[in-house]
Amino acid sequence: MGATGSKLEKALGDQFPEGERYFGLENFGNTCYCNSVLQALYFCVPFREQLLDYYSNNKSIGDAEENLLTCLADLFTQISSQKKKTGVIAPKRFVQRLKKQNEIFRSYMHQDAHEFLNFLLNELVDILEKEAHAIKSDAESSSPPEKISNGPKTGQANGAQKEPLVTWVHKNFQGLLTNETRCLRCETVTARDETFLDLSLDIEQNSSITSCLKNFSSTETLNAEDKFFCDKCCSLQEAQKRMKIKKPPHILVIHLKRFKYIEQLGRYKKLLYRVVFPLELKLSNTMEDADSEYSLFAVVVHVGSGPNHGHYVSLVKSHNHWLFFDDENVEMIDESVVQTFFGSAQEYSSNTDHGYILFYESIGTGNKS
Amino acid sequence: MKMMNNGYNSSFNSNSVGLMSNTGATTASSSSSTSTTNANSQSQGLKTYFKTPEGRYKLHYEKTHPPGFLPFSHGKSVSQVTLAQLKDKPAQAGPAPSSSSSASASSGVRYAAAKFLGVGGGNGVRAIGFAGGNGTGKAVNGTSRSGSLVGSNGSHSILNPNYDGKGTYLIFNVGDTIFIGDLNSPDKDPIKSLHFSNSNPICHAFDPEAKDGHDLLIGLNSGDVYSVSLRQQLQDVGKKLVGAQHYNKEGSVNNSRCTSVAWIPKSDGAFVVAHADGNLYVYEKSKDASVDTSFPVIKDQTQFSVAHARSSKSNPIARWHICQGSINNVAFSTDGVYLATVGRDGYLRVFDYSKDQLICGGKSYYGALLCCTWSLNPWHFVDFLLQVSGVAFDSYWSSPTSDDIEENVVYRFGSVGQDTQLLLWDLSMDEIVVPLRRCPPGGSPTFSTGSQSAHWDSITPLGTLQPAPCMRDVPKLSPVVAHRVHTEPLSGLLFTQESILTACREGHVKIWMRPSSESQSSNSEALVGGSSSLAGSRVGSSILK
Repeated sequence: MGATGSKLEKALGDQFPEGERYFGLENFGNTCYCNSVLQALYFCVPFREQLLDYYSNNKSIGDAEENLLTCLADLFTQISSQKKKTGVIAPKRFVQRLKKQNEIFRSYMHQDAHEFLNFLLNELVDILEKEAHAIKSDAESSSPPEKISNGPKTGQANGAQKEPLVTWVHKNFQGLLTNETRCLRCETVTARDETFLDLSLDIEQNSSITSCLKNFSSTETLNAEDKFFCDKCCSLQEAQKRMKIKKPPHILVIHLKRFKYIEQLGRYKKLLYRVVFPLELKLSNTMEDADSEYSLFAVVVHVGSGPNHGHYVSLVKSHNHWLFFDDENVEMIDESVVQTFFGSAQEYSSNTDHGYILFYESIGTGNKS
Repeated sequence: MKMMNNGYNSSFNSNSVGLMSNTGATTASSSSSTSTTNANSQSQGLKTYFKTPEGRYKLHYEKTHPPGFLPFSHGKSVSQVTLAQLKDKPAQAGPAPSSSSSASASSGVRYAAAKFLGVGGGNGVRAIGFAGGNGTGKAVNGTSRSGSLVGSNGSHSILNPNYDGKGTYLIFNVGDTIFIGDLNSPDKDPIKSLHFSNSNPICHAFDPEAKDGHDLLIGLNSGDVYSVSLRQQLQDVGKKLVGAQHYNKEGSVNNSRCTSVAWIPKSDGAFVVAHADGNLYVYEKSKDASVDTSFPVIKDQTQFSVAHARSSKSNPIARWHICQGSINNVAFSTDGVYLATVGRDGYLRVFDYSKDQLICGGKSYYGALLCCTWSLNPWHFVDFLLQVSGVAFDSYWSSPTSDDIEENVVYRFGSVGQDTQLLLWDLSMDEIVVPLRRCPPGGSPTFSTGSQSAHWDSITPLGTLQPAPCMRDVPKLSPVVAHRVHTEPLSGLLFTQESILTACREGHVKIWMRPSSESQSSNSEALVGGSSSLAGSRVGSSILK
């Protein structure tokens, strides 16, 4: 392990980014789903910085109850404060806490990395919301912490929104979708907004993220069994429905639906489809004036031909170098290697390493916070 | 071919003689399975023709690497195709078939065997090829062995006299090998393979103007570049390059991947080599390849700069630092005046080559640009975006309304992408260019020079790079034809007088006959177009006029 570390250091040489740490994570028996996602999140720099910030600010409040947030913050602090530049760390406390918290992750079975990411982000949001409420009720008059001060106001300004609190997790990952339904009889458009922390996309063989996003936003007709109840017509009507991105998130997480339930088989199957993901992504199906531009910084890769077994690794871009994280191993890779994780152009292929969760960060003018 | 290659290996290495039967058997089984899966997958929803407004294009021939040859590095090597036309050999004492009796016999047998195996076409070839592995294989072993031995002594001692005449050849790379096929032969298997032991070939270019000497350039993943004579390769029976000039040996000038090579038209043997680190080098084939030049350190990576070699005897003669990140493709206008480059940074740049000057450029909408090509008219230029892997102009297509050509020029061009589809586009200058001119400054991908539009020249000074256009400001063009031609993502596209050639990343090439040409006659004229690699399905285009 030490040898691989020094190899990476040698490979980077004097280009080793200052203050950056590249640490592998130990596997505690099928915890690669967790390791791969943790690496992607660690190299999501705004998220990491805000988490470390939060941790250093709240440490003084006294050792409150241990939760997933404190365990994650603890792990990230541990990595970033290592004396050595490379090495291996055991995310023991975090994994223990995760297993305690959710029985799904308790077994030694192969787990779904997307399910874990989703659970983790929602859990962090819950913890932050609870804390904010506690602070609010503690000191009604005193102003809430600076970090969340914008949240309630903008929330109320929007009116009927039930989710007034915008935590730093939201600020990073949350986007807004709008679901427009147009009644084909009275032409009334009903728009319903919903927030998302990641987008799950249906995939097709030999396609690209851009085409999958286009399908995601394509117009769908609701008819026959699946009619729409129009409030104006007060009856079930044929309608057209489409999803649009109203507010693109700062960090866009795209989950490719590679695990599909096949009714005829009565089980899940992994779709090995080749789905091209660009290093720079333009979102054109948004409602904002300018097209949002994103840059790919992490990919969680599923290795294996089926849904119930296999392995997870991650590719991470840090300071313009691409790194390959496979549990405790960290290697440098060339950018051109990223395209070997697009998938298989034909059904029977020896290549089983497929991009599964993609992390894009907004670049250019859309940069907030 | 494959069988003979096996024979060659085994007779050379005593350890592998024992293996030979094994390899023979396994290859045979694996290849038969490949051929069946290929046959299956090829037939899965893939038609052998496609319809266009001008008629039906029919699948004429297919070319591929020998069965059982599987590139190891999945996805890393992308097949590119180059067409090469050899003219009749100039009157000269050609290699007499009597140079050495045993050798000529061997090459004769070889050729006969190749011919024999070639007959039948399609799967029949494979079956015969592998039956031969047991029976006739022995004879071939013997001959190829002597052939290779002599070949290693002196490359000129055995020559296959069958390649003296004219012919059109297809050059494509798969994994660590370059294959050469005869465009006008129904034989699916290549007639020649060139193996590279140190690094994978990535790009190649053929110089149709070369009067003599070297006409084929090959760029490697290691950064090394070779120039060779195509005819000499065809006439040699070995698997190695013969009579090659080696430039940038072991990356002595630049050790990053060689991404694109191009002969400079009308330059008498000068060529450029683009690298993955954003540098481009100019070489002259007449100069000594072994003397390397050192160039000053690039001070500002973000700035375009040209450095000329101090000594006029050395190679390369100049270095152009073009951009940060990889240069993905380069293309010269047919008159050799302008050089276009596209790269990872998403910019298309157009240079006045002889003046070392950046004229104009623009950023793409979707990000990294992969390929670019010129039409025959140098100022009508199309650049293509991330998800298109190959693009080419069809200079043989003429607009049905060619009578009013002055007012309305229509260009036919094609693109291939990772969605396995071939798209054909008709670009009408009055429909596309005029709306573009109405765009607000800065948001427009148009650029003009000369007297074409003084208005735009006043806004954009020479050498300005335009930012990426906004989606809504760019007129959308829809393809006239979209056809799924292969099962694998595509990587190359070429137009010839009689046909369209499509190639997929894994090294399968299909030749689609144009509707008009009934005859299967030989000799395609010069071709237009280059291609490069990477992602998908959507196409955007912008025109520089």
